[in-house]
Amino acid sequence: MDDLYRSELMEVYKDPTHRGHLSNPSIALEKQNAFCGDHLHLSLKIKNNIIEDAKFDGEMCFVSIIGADFLIEEIIGKTIEEAKKIDQKKLLELIDLNLTTSRIACATLTLKALQEALNKYEK
Amino acid sequence: MLNITKIKADFPIFKNHPELIYLDNAATSQKPQIVIDRITKFYSNENANVHRGVYPLSEEASEAYDEARQKVASFIGARTNREIIFTKGTTESLNLVAQSYALNNLKKDDEVLVTDFEHHSNFLPWQNVCQKTGAILKILNSDEKGFISDEEWQKKLNKKTKIVAIAHASNVLGTISDIKKIAELVHGVDAVLVVDGAQAIPHLQVDVQNLDCDFYAFSGHKMLGPMGIGVLYVKEEILAKMVPYQLGGGMIESVSLDDVIFADYPEKFEAGTPNVAGAIALTSAMDYLLATGLEEIRKHEILLSEFLLAGLAKIEKVRIFGSASANERTGLVSFYVEGVHAHDLSDYLAKRGLALRAGFHCAMPLHQSRACGATLRASYYLYNSEKDLEFLLTSLEEAISYYG
Ligand SMILES: Cc1ncc(COP(=O)(O)O)c(C=O)c1O
Repeated sequence: MDDLYRSELMEVYKDPTHRGHLSNPSIALEKQNAFCGDHLHLSLKIKNNIIEDAKFDGEMCFVSIIGADFLIEEIIGKTIEEAKKIDQKKLLELIDLNLTTSRIACATLTLKALQEALNKYEK
Repeated sequence: MLNITKIKADFPIFKNHPELIYLDNAATSQKPQIVIDRITKFYSNENANVHRGVYPLSEEASEAYDEARQKVASFIGARTNREIIFTKGTTESLNLVAQSYALNNLKKDDEVLVTDFEHHSNFLPWQNVCQKTGAILKILNSDEKGFISDEEWQKKLNKKTKIVAIAHASNVLGTISDIKKIAELVHGVDAVLVVDGAQAIPHLQVDVQNLDCDFYAFSGHKMLGPMGIGVLYVKEEILAKMVPYQLGGGMIESVSLDDVIFADYPEKFEAGTPNVAGAIALTSAMDYLLATGLEEIRKHEILLSEFLLAGLAKIEKVRIFGSASANERTGLVSFYVEGVHAHDLSDYLAKRGLALRAGFHCAMPLHQSRACGATLRASYYLYNSEKDLEFLLTSLEEAISYYG
């Protein structure tokens, strides 16, 4: 059988670079995927308008872990404005998985959390 | 013994998808050729609206629809065909009970009891009528197997209880409730018993008189029939206490500008053009089940459950959700794998042609009360073989090591 996922993704899934909690986050929040009940914890460190670091954690499926890790990789070092410009389309291009509609919600869980967090941070 | 090869050949979906191993029967069953042919025949040869025209085609369609009602009545052992209301499925049947019976018979501080394993369609309608009437919704908590203990009944059931709603079989735990015994308890406090039969009627011989429930709801599509047709059985003496909640054509005796006289039941609860083809084809599905033998089907499922439960128990990290034995459950097992998400497993299994369901199965409160995330559910039927389940077990082991 063909492997379900590219092997480099399997490595990310087994040991995501950005999993964890930041100790002194500028902002942190919890988000739930209504479809499967998955919980995500996202924390961000922001200084002078730049996202210096970010981490995610939680009970999550393969697709949401890949979505989280790739997104965080992408936003570190970016300004808030730049990070806010990342939309679903861009993220799906980044992870390059063949997803059914229901799984798109998994892939974009962290993206939704990020946008919420950035909006909150700016207030 | 069922001849699985022969049975499978009656279901064209398997010819069109030779790789398919269909284990999502609790969501919907596949359809045998005779059911598909019956629908085609109705629309090709017999199509006309019912109870409208006086021309032969319309009269024949009306007769066929009435005959379908009679066949359904005898399939479930109703006293008369007047106790059979056609709906579009279990969900509509249960909402009909809530809106046409409960809303008019509940008062503030009355109590409604439902279990913690109900499908959302046997939970939300009760939540809604309780909010509207000021009645109190109480939850019966099930034990590890999915049964309601005697103590739990004693604690929750009392003179204030007016309605008890329970699934005959749980769509997640599979557990079959003893409806006859429950009916006695419920009638002991003068309450009515509403049974969600969606998961039971495809697998068990149901006799509503013997069960002595007041309402029995089920869907055609889970028992080899078409989608969009379902049934609500209502004990005749209760029909008089119900008022229609959908108004329109086909359910009146006479209408003037400021008054209406409704037709008699059951038509009074079937406003609008009914699903005539669906009702007729549903009886073809019932004929097919009867010809195959309900007892034989049940025996076959018990063997499959025993096989699957034993196989799953041998795989490390697999946790079976609900501990009912093969005899105590219909043809399904829900489970999860520690450390691997149910949706990831089902993606892997899908790639191998295995169709099974992952998620909360429309029973979120149950997963919450048992602190469980999404589960996988394998549900089988008369066309599934031990080989299907063996393939599931080996694929599952592969999936676990793939993600592990
Ligand atoms: C126990 C139970 N009740 C109700 C339903 C709802 O049935 P339907 O969607 O056919 O109305 C289902 C089907 O999933 C079920 O399993």
